[in-house]
Amino acid sequence: MFAAVSSFPADIPPTLSDLISASDTMYAAMSSTAPAYRFGFLRNVTLEGIEPYLRYHMLRMGLRPELIFGGYGSIRQDLILPDSPLVKHCPDLLVTAFMLEELDPHYGLPGWNASHSREELSAIFDALAASDAPTISLNTFIVPFRSETGTLIAAPDVASEVIRLNDFVRAFVREHSPRFCIMDWDRLAHRIGEAEAMDYRYWYISKAPFKRSFLDALARELTKVVLALKGHSKKCLVLDCDNTLWGGVVGEDGIEGIHLDGHDYPGRAYYDFQKTVLQLAERGVLITLCSKNNEQDVLDVLDKHPWSLLKRNHLSGFRINWDDKAANLIELAKELNLGLDAFVFVDDNRRELELIRQVLPQVTTLQVPDKLYEYPALLQRDGLFDTLITSQEDKLRTSLYQTEAQRKAERNQHPDLESYLLSLQLVVNIQVATDREAMRVVQLTQKTNQFNLTTRRYSDHDIARFRSSKDACVYTLSASDRFGSLGLVGVFIVQRRQETAVVDSLLMSCRALGRRLEVAFVLECMRRIVADWGILTWEAEYLSTAKNSQVADFWSTLGFALLEQAEGRRLYRLQAAMPEIDPPSFIHIERE
Amino acid sequence: MSDIENRTRDVMAKVLQIVPQDISPDISRKNLPAWDSLKHMNLILALEEEFDIEFSDKEIADLNSLHLLVDALRTKHS
Repeated sequence: MFAAVSSFPADIPPTLSDLISASDTMYAAMSSTAPAYRFGFLRNVTLEGIEPYLRYHMLRMGLRPELIFGGYGSIRQDLILPDSPLVKHCPDLLVTAFMLEELDPHYGLPGWNASHSREELSAIFDALAASDAPTISLNTFIVPFRSETGTLIAAPDVASEVIRLNDFVRAFVREHSPRFCIMDWDRLAHRIGEAEAMDYRYWYISKAPFKRSFLDALARELTKVVLALKGHSKKCLVLDCDNTLWGGVVGEDGIEGIHLDGHDYPGRAYYDFQKTVLQLAERGVLITLCSKNNEQDVLDVLDKHPWSLLKRNHLSGFRINWDDKAANLIELAKELNLGLDAFVFVDDNRRELELIRQVLPQVTTLQVPDKLYEYPALLQRDGLFDTLITSQEDKLRTSLYQTEAQRKAERNQHPDLESYLLSLQLVVNIQVATDREAMRVVQLTQKTNQFNLTTRRYSDHDIARFRSSKDACVYTLSASDRFGSLGLVGVFIVQRRQETAVVDSLLMSCRALGRRLEVAFVLECMRRIVADWGILTWEAEYLSTAKNSQVADFWSTLGFALLEQAEGRRLYRLQAAMPEIDPPSFIHIERE
Repeated sequence: MSDIENRTRDVMAKVLQIVPQDISPDISRKNLPAWDSLKHMNLILALEEEFDIEFSDKEIADLNSLHLLVDALRTKHS
């Protein structure tokens, strides 16, 4: 169903009526069980015009959107009154749509400053934080396109006040990330331009400020947020080298002959592209190379070229050889323990891209544009790697994968798995999730696909609720071995129903797999829960997705009995407090 | 039926999400609940795209029936 993700964002049909009927067709073809996703708009202007665009982009992703609009002049009531539609229908994503023209009657009058609006917003934001909405997006305000002071800037002008107000909004979002995110109206409006973004005609007729281009852009941004929340973000960038990382062919032109100089054409375009690669690496995206070249030639460029920003230590893996690229990508996916659908492949060669599209359609492919000046924006344009969260773990990820290579080498020296695992000297720490760990827990629930028994995606609000409930508990698993720390790699969420403990979620980061850590983790959690809650029996589920078949029999291997099976759901029960199996002997559990 | 009227009905059916048969000649905002003010906004935008014309703010408020729309489009389009 999510195959369409790889081609997001699509161009929309040329006219509004075509757009609406294209959506109607997609909607009719969609199964009635497709998940509905609720957007709640808290607004003081008319934003209903976004509906056709949001509907189109969401339906293309296989998601059925529902839009709920609050009243115009009732922002605070909409958040608290039980029969307000925004409270009653519990939106998945609450979206603000505020304009200063409506927020502050003095906006734009001589002597206006932002202090009144700021107080007003501050109160609204606090009310939002206290609401039940799992995720909230705040909009920035569009800085005026014209100056009221003309060429003079004698006193603070409206523009500088609005910029200050936007800084306030951004700071609030930063402090409350990842539950809050931003819809940067100001950036969108300035990117699109006043003529295409602003609809002054309908602004004066019915308080509807935006034209098609802006509404479409906003709908795309909202869809990206939903995809990020649902764990569809890409995790790994695979780059070709010649005419991709630099201009020219290193094997022929030599290290001195390639174009990468940040002061020259066309070197600067490649140099700026490398900047965006580094920004992604900083955000925790894994960077890899896949190039038909002599390995040494490429590594020489990374090590020695004065303008190569990308260095060997940014790489989580590479395949520089003369083999076919599809085979190389499959190997990289295996090496990094990632699904190929988390890969974005960039190449300049149409034939290579076509091969990948044919053989590995789940990989997102991007071509180096013919208009080289458009290249530096390529990776940022579609928001493929957007996530709402960056945790400490993200920043460590590249080094984690590098120690993984050492482990692979170790593995080859041991004839059997057991002796290899013993040689790793695995140590685990299992504990009730702490405040510091909460964000990583949220992140794992949002993006873990393979070892995930129920694939329930949670916001930080949801996790906070589990953690504060006396009938629920969230456990984490952190692991390390003699090569280094793997970080926080497992989450176990359980709820109590009298003397039965019900497993809500069990998931393991893919980098921790193949070590039987999950068995040690589950047994230890169960042991502690039985002791704390006086549990007599257990219930657990497996909810099948396109990606988690490897754990389909997990509960049976622990001795749980299959109780019911229907439509991708299996319900298991254990008629005992603990399974009759022993934890793996080669894993040492740290006890405080 | 004129070409303009046909194209108008076609756009109307798509935007108001109704079947073309439901569009009677005397259809107006008074007798069709689906034609609310928000749909009206989309309808105007869609008709402007279809005929590559632009209505003024004053005109928009008055174009409340199929008749009035078709008349206005005829004047503008010719």
